[in-house]
Amino acid sequence: MMQRLSTFISNNRKIIPMTTTAVLAVAAYLIGMAYFEGLRNPQVFLNVFRNTSYILISAIGMTFVILSKGIDLSVSGVVALTTVVSAALLRDDWNPWAVILLVLLIGMSLGLVMGCFIVYLKVQPFIATLAGMWFARGMCFFISDNAIAIDNSTFKILGQTQLLIPGLKELADKAGTPAPYISIPVVVGFVLLAAAFYMAHYTRFGRNVYAIGGNQQSARLMGLPVNRTLLMVYTFNGFCSAMAGLAFALFVSSGHGLYAPGFEMDVIASVVIGGTLLSGGSGYILGTLFGVMVLGITQVLIQFIGSLSSWWTKIVIGVLMLAFIGVQAVLANRKTGEKALDPQAARLRRQRLAVGLGTAVVLVVLAIIFVPKLSSSSAGNTPEAECVVVPFRKEDAAALIADGAVIAYNRIAGPNCVDEMYAIYPDGRVTGDNAVSQVKKQVTSAEVELLMATISDEYGWYTNEIRDTYHHPCRQCYAHYLIVNRNGQEKGVTAVDGGVNMPPNYGFSLSIIRPLLPVINPAP
Amino acid sequence: MKPPQKKTFTWRAITESRIFLPVVLLLLVLLFDFLFIPGFFNIENRDGDLYGSLIDILRNGSAVSLLAIGMTLVIATGGIDLSVGAVMAIAASVAGILMNPSALRNEVFFVTDPMYTFAPLWIVIGAALLAGILCGLWNGMLVAFMKIQPMVATLVLLTAGRGIAQLITNGLRVQITYRPFALIGQGWFILPFSLYIVVFMLIVTTLLTRKTALGMFIESVGINVRSSYFSGIKEKYVRLIVYVFCGFCAAIAGLVACSNVRTSDANNIGLLFELDAILAVVIGGTSMNGGRFNLVASIVGALVMQAVTQSMYAIGVPAFALQAIKAVVVIIVILLFSEQVRGFFRSFGAQKKEVKS
Repeated sequence: MMQRLSTFISNNRKIIPMTTTAVLAVAAYLIGMAYFEGLRNPQVFLNVFRNTSYILISAIGMTFVILSKGIDLSVSGVVALTTVVSAALLRDDWNPWAVILLVLLIGMSLGLVMGCFIVYLKVQPFIATLAGMWFARGMCFFISDNAIAIDNSTFKILGQTQLLIPGLKELADKAGTPAPYISIPVVVGFVLLAAAFYMAHYTRFGRNVYAIGGNQQSARLMGLPVNRTLLMVYTFNGFCSAMAGLAFALFVSSGHGLYAPGFEMDVIASVVIGGTLLSGGSGYILGTLFGVMVLGITQVLIQFIGSLSSWWTKIVIGVLMLAFIGVQAVLANRKTGEKALDPQAARLRRQRLAVGLGTAVVLVVLAIIFVPKLSSSSAGNTPEAECVVVPFRKEDAAALIADGAVIAYNRIAGPNCVDEMYAIYPDGRVTGDNAVSQVKKQVTSAEVELLMATISDEYGWYTNEIRDTYHHPCRQCYAHYLIVNRNGQEKGVTAVDGGVNMPPNYGFSLSIIRPLLPVINPAP
Repeated sequence: MKPPQKKTFTWRAITESRIFLPVVLLLLVLLFDFLFIPGFFNIENRDGDLYGSLIDILRNGSAVSLLAIGMTLVIATGGIDLSVGAVMAIAASVAGILMNPSALRNEVFFVTDPMYTFAPLWIVIGAALLAGILCGLWNGMLVAFMKIQPMVATLVLLTAGRGIAQLITNGLRVQITYRPFALIGQGWFILPFSLYIVVFMLIVTTLLTRKTALGMFIESVGINVRSSYFSGIKEKYVRLIVYVFCGFCAAIAGLVACSNVRTSDANNIGLLFELDAILAVVIGGTSMNGGRFNLVASIVGALVMQAVTQSMYAIGVPAFALQAIKAVVVIIVILLFSEQVRGFFRSFGAQKKEVKS
């Protein structure tokens, strides 16, 4: 029995990582469904794909790169550049289809140039694509410093069209619920996936990629067109990145150079979780889909649990990656015959198995810790799947300052999608409203004076300056709009939690202002 | 017998030396500053402390220089450590939370007392360094004993590390008001205090690698793992040591960075620094495939990047557009390192010799 099991594993070791990922994704979702009513809504399941469509598109290209034993760090830069270029050109009334074509061309040519560096100048892919990322991100800011909104009818249609699923629509009609839908980027992602699947497994190009990833030297000796194939791989990845950038632009309907920070790591992580070896030559396109699904489902579960913060996503993804690396390493080392009897190899295998099992134990422990939390947070707790971030109420803030307030502070977004406006007056009055209810608080005027003195003297934090580093808040971050007015001088700051270019001591100032503010209970 | 070769100071010996290219690059950048930015070389003396753009280059480059020291050794063994930025964040979070634990109670509270701290300074620094060493140990175990590819093994910590850092600080920005700690990044003894840390680490590391056999072991492992193993080098422990050391350096860099902004921000401290550090090492002439290394060259590499940044600031290039300039510098370096250009240098040296003879 053990023998047969062992043979079975050996024979199928190539697809086991991918299958494990798929099983894990499905199992995680099913367990989630058992706990949360909300997850049983088919729309929530489809939202997993809607929210990760751009990751999927980019991960498809990355799979080819990693299969060819390369790596591409430039994807996040190309995504940001694509959003900025398309937003800027649409602002100048270009034809949207020409814009789409142009950004795809830009992505492909960037990929091609990086490929040339890698192939002809023998630069490490890591370094060449790093330069590519910086170049692309830097170019964004030559085009525009600020976020540009996309206000184009074609892009709106592309981004907001709801494609109904034929079978599910009738079911939903029967149940009297709104019909579940997917968006156009999801369809694009799946079409791309199908095309990539065909390319990887049924064409000469795909076989060349696998051969090069397995061993570039022997591929060359076999007479395969190594250089041309590698160039094609990087060009294709540039195309995918640009496509992902378009999907992202549709998703947030604006363009900015700070978008998608660390995106390349998400993409690489989902490819690795999908069972593709970073050492090249082994893996499946389909696995990437499951890897992306794991990423999306983890995000959704953490959103639904509610008591866990968003950074748990990162930890879970890290632990998952470790588990998969352990499993893969064990499987990759598995050879039938004498090699398996080699004590050195056997020991290594045991060690790796120990790592794999260890991480599995960690996961189980985490699950045991958090299952009580899951059951305690009520099943009816379904966060809004879509949170519309309202713009800053700049006019209101200006009105408050004109009214005599020394500090006007508007906080929006965050996990509960708040919209809070606070004002602090020199006489110690503090007001706050969240567009629904209003609260008041009285502090002493000495406290306000101390606050202002600290902000201005301790932190040197007021000049007649308006600073705008706003970019689209992540799903957990708040966006802040702060105006400080002292001695007739005004300083305004727009920023998002986690932004990289805060003015000096901005964090300090905010952290001493916040304790003075009254608490607004979320609207019932 | 051949007479002893007298090529110590020939053109070729200089161009072939590892430190030649980074120094030339640094000089080029400084020449550019000299020509186009008036007052770039001015150094101000304020109460015995020196200030100026040149000093700023040294000060702002210190975090990346520290990372580059550790990264050089890792890359010399043929590895790579992508997690240094995340390790910086972890170390900074540990230090921040030990000085101001209010974040654990989920509140941001404002300390007016500049001498307030929860734990004494030596515990704060010790705990942060220990956190860095543990992270390095984790990476080293995965790479040396589990034989996982370095890039993948450290990718795990890169992804999870920032999450762990936020777990430590409860997801809040921790304000550090404790003055003595601020000294690490903001202190000044004639020159910035962080500079002394870099020089100290450089001297210690140089002594460790050049006055003991460790440096040779590292290069040997980088050139050929198998033959090092057969010649009796415990390659696993060599690899483990370099990753632990890299984690240690990253922790110091994290302390410097968070002390500099007096905030322990798990989201932003050391963000993308791993790329800067790797680049500094590559500019310093250490091959990504492992082998010979030069610590001073790596630090000069880090300074080149910082000098470019500083001069662009002085010209008034916006902070974000700087990345494009950085990319151009990388491309120039890549071109200079390519075989074609090296071949050109060589042939140039050979021609000179012919003319002489």
